[in-house]
Amino acid sequence: MNIHKKILIPLLCLPLLSTLLTGCWDARELSELGITSGSAYDWENNQWKATYQVINPSSGSSGMGGSTGGSTSSPPFVTFTVKGRTIMEAIEKTNLTSTREMFFSHSRITVLGESVAKHGINQLIDMFLRKQDARETVYVFITKGEAGNILDQLMQLSKNQGAGVQLMIEQESRLISYYPGVQMFELAMALSSESGSAVLPEILLTGTEIMDETTETGRTDLKTRLALGRLGVLKGDQLMGWLSQKQAFGLSFMTDKIKTATIAFSSKPKSGDKPDASYILQKSKTIVHPKWEQDHYVIDIDIKGSGVLSEVGSVMDLNDRTSITEMEHSIEQQVLELVNNSWKEIRTLGADVTGFAVRIHRSDRKRFKQIKKAKNWDSTFQEIEIRPHVSMKIERTGLSNKSFESVHEK
Amino acid sequence: MQALETILSCRQNKELKTGDNNAKESRFQQNRGVMMANKQKPARKNASVPSENSVPAPLPLDPSLEVNLQELGKRIGQSSDVVFRRFTNESLSSLALAFVYIDGLVNADVVNQTVLQPLLETVTLKSESITATDAFRMIKDQILPIGGVKEGKTLEALLSMLFDGYTLILFDGLQMALAADTSGWEKRSVNEPTSQGVIRGPKEGFTESLRTGTSMLRRRLKTSDLRIEEYKIGQRTQTGVALVYLDGIASEQVLKEVRRRLNAIHTDSILESNYIEEFIQDGGLTPFPTIQNTERPDAMAGGILEGQIGIIIDGTPFALLAPSTFFNFFQSSEDYYQRYDISSFLRLIRYGAFFVSMLLPALYIAVTTFHQEMLPTTLLVSLAAQREGVPLPALAEALLMELTFDVLREAGVRMPRTIGPAISIVGALVLGQAAVQAGLVSAAMVIVVSFTAISNFVIPSLAIANSIRLIRFVMMFIAATLGLFGIMSFLMVLLIHMAGLRSFGVPYLSPVAPMVPRYLKDILIRVPLWSMTMRPKTNLGKETRRQGPDQKPKPAEGKNSQESGQPKPQGEDPA
Repeated sequence: MNIHKKILIPLLCLPLLSTLLTGCWDARELSELGITSGSAYDWENNQWKATYQVINPSSGSSGMGGSTGGSTSSPPFVTFTVKGRTIMEAIEKTNLTSTREMFFSHSRITVLGESVAKHGINQLIDMFLRKQDARETVYVFITKGEAGNILDQLMQLSKNQGAGVQLMIEQESRLISYYPGVQMFELAMALSSESGSAVLPEILLTGTEIMDETTETGRTDLKTRLALGRLGVLKGDQLMGWLSQKQAFGLSFMTDKIKTATIAFSSKPKSGDKPDASYILQKSKTIVHPKWEQDHYVIDIDIKGSGVLSEVGSVMDLNDRTSITEMEHSIEQQVLELVNNSWKEIRTLGADVTGFAVRIHRSDRKRFKQIKKAKNWDSTFQEIEIRPHVSMKIERTGLSNKSFESVHEK
Repeated sequence: MQALETILSCRQNKELKTGDNNAKESRFQQNRGVMMANKQKPARKNASVPSENSVPAPLPLDPSLEVNLQELGKRIGQSSDVVFRRFTNESLSSLALAFVYIDGLVNADVVNQTVLQPLLETVTLKSESITATDAFRMIKDQILPIGGVKEGKTLEALLSMLFDGYTLILFDGLQMALAADTSGWEKRSVNEPTSQGVIRGPKEGFTESLRTGTSMLRRRLKTSDLRIEEYKIGQRTQTGVALVYLDGIASEQVLKEVRRRLNAIHTDSILESNYIEEFIQDGGLTPFPTIQNTERPDAMAGGILEGQIGIIIDGTPFALLAPSTFFNFFQSSEDYYQRYDISSFLRLIRYGAFFVSMLLPALYIAVTTFHQEMLPTTLLVSLAAQREGVPLPALAEALLMELTFDVLREAGVRMPRTIGPAISIVGALVLGQAAVQAGLVSAAMVIVVSFTAISNFVIPSLAIANSIRLIRFVMMFIAATLGLFGIMSFLMVLLIHMAGLRSFGVPYLSPVAPMVPRYLKDILIRVPLWSMTMRPKTNLGKETRRQGPDQKPKPAEGKNSQESGQPKPQGEDPA
């Protein structure tokens, strides 16, 4: 009996000891957390200037209209702007002004100001990869002016602005495919790959005024909205230039990033170049095949796609096979033009955002090693000749055979 | 004291040789119990056990009726419900007789019509020439129209029969007495089981009467293999305990072990099946039950058919089934009364509910205090918004609500039925709604606690549901200190503990660990009955066939083609 007691008493005391531990370590109550939904970085006076967007839970920014204490007058998020010689120094300084501990795990977007992009972003990427609660899956954007302003802008339909922007870019890359959303790890991978270049979508304010007051979101047509713009091209860790949306679209074809896209084309190329029909590209596959020809690389780009006709503005009988073939030709021409256009700009920028270096490295390792050794990849890149082959198929023509224009003519 | 008892029991044994059927059984068991106890722990012999001699020396009857009656009266202490009826009228007969019975334990009509009336009316008894021995023989063999008539030679034997509702007939000048079975007391009628209801299936449950229980099983298992062994356990209560099993299907080893443990019980009283359960179940300190209890004769019959051993205890409608594995507690008898697909689905839900009930509050605490990154942002924000005004940390909040629920639950059990609705209103409205509005607890916590509570009721066996009620609190503390890591670690500890448990030699987690794939047919899901051809050996027993191999219902095509196939070749051959 006594032996039992001797064992039992310490055993019973063990759980009691554990209660002393509660609250220690990294336990954090929800009400102590500053849930960060986005961050922005600028470079100013040789210092990092970081802006954090912290969700204000009691304003019901869950989007579901949190039932308790939801007051619409308080902003769905608040922003803190801090400066520091290093990024972490800046982050830690938020604790001087904020009542809550920054919590980065729910961060959705990171906006880089042009100033940072020009200064170099290696340090930032390193911080994201190193820090425990920083997510590598944040979407990275670049903006022309000051990045902090982007985070101040209120959004309609989505109170959590960071999450809203994430939805925007995801929708864009799924439905229009001008450019894919770039997450932090993808950026890091692209910059560390053989080509050493990456692209970042631009985010911008459509107006000059920043809508940062909750009363202002009461309007139906905001003066200023957030919008996705061009595509920034980075080489090394610096911003080289921009691709327009069209050029970015061409790049998407070259890099096989098309999910769904709408292409406007001229249904009767002979009678005019004016686009009067639309085609929804539903499936697209690009195969890139580099080969060495005498003194330069030739890249075969096979683009195969299929989709649906969604709009015809000319007199056309779709029962006629030839008219379909003609339209397919026109679409192919359209794509070809996009690709060539894009390539021209990329070549001028001299940044291998197409990932050709990776392809060449994989298919022709010996020569690529030589090029690397000789450090003349840039000139090799300039000499690359691309040969795009496009084949587009119209699989269905929608619900009507003749275009309404032709019915109307009769 | 033990030594004394052994001596006494030897004396008893000698006596037993000379007869006395009824006493034989109970005494025999007792003696065995005593001897087993001695064998098991010889060290105890000299230990100072509270010396309470509850088995007095058997006292042979005295030839004198008066002495016997006096002795009986002394033993019983003139309790008002004991009826002594002297039957000595010199004018009628020279024979002095006395009846003793306990009012309330006997059926008054039976006593009057089958004992008193025949004795009073029989003429031969009134003749003067008859001797006591002749009268004894005559009454026993001819006069009493009663099935159970026994002889008793010692006072103790008679007393125990008296308490079973027998009517004693004592003779002057004889050292023997007759006992007529006139038992008949108020019993609860067979009702629907209150704790284990089903939608489809038999609606009768065990009652407090042992005999009713065994008869219900007999009615279900009409086979000569059904064995019912009776024990009397408890020195003061002399509670009848029946061991019910199927000979040849129940494992001999398990049976031996159960008998050994039952015999080893040395206690004052057995008032409910839990007394037996606690005395014989394995793993005394484990939170997990290793013996099932059931109120349903059909569930019991099912268990017995699978090789389990049933233990019915007089005085309680809850019978025991052993050996029981962890998975037995998730099988409801209704699983077999419904289609197999819905049964399988329900069974999966039960396992799910088991984990929810055990882990949900702990997971809530762990996720909201350690792993906020695991939640979807919108959920996190809305949780954060709810917790904004709550003064307590998540652990305290969860503990508060869980304890509140347990208080409510206990109140619900104890409280008189008429004020039941009042408690549910107070519980649901005041504590749930108002506490959230007052900002004492968050709405999410109320949801977590209610879902946990409801999940707990999904588990068919109250025994295992209760065990995780306690584990839940441990889990909550661990979650608050170590987060998900702690939960996983503690689950490991639990799993190791469970893997080490045994129920009468059967591994607690069998047939999952140790894994016997072909016995999994009735564990996580229930396969169709025709596919369960073999009876899972309750591990230590043998595997026996339960039904024919090709029981899957199908059209009689095969048979037809056989029948029509015979003439066919004849017709085809010439062609």
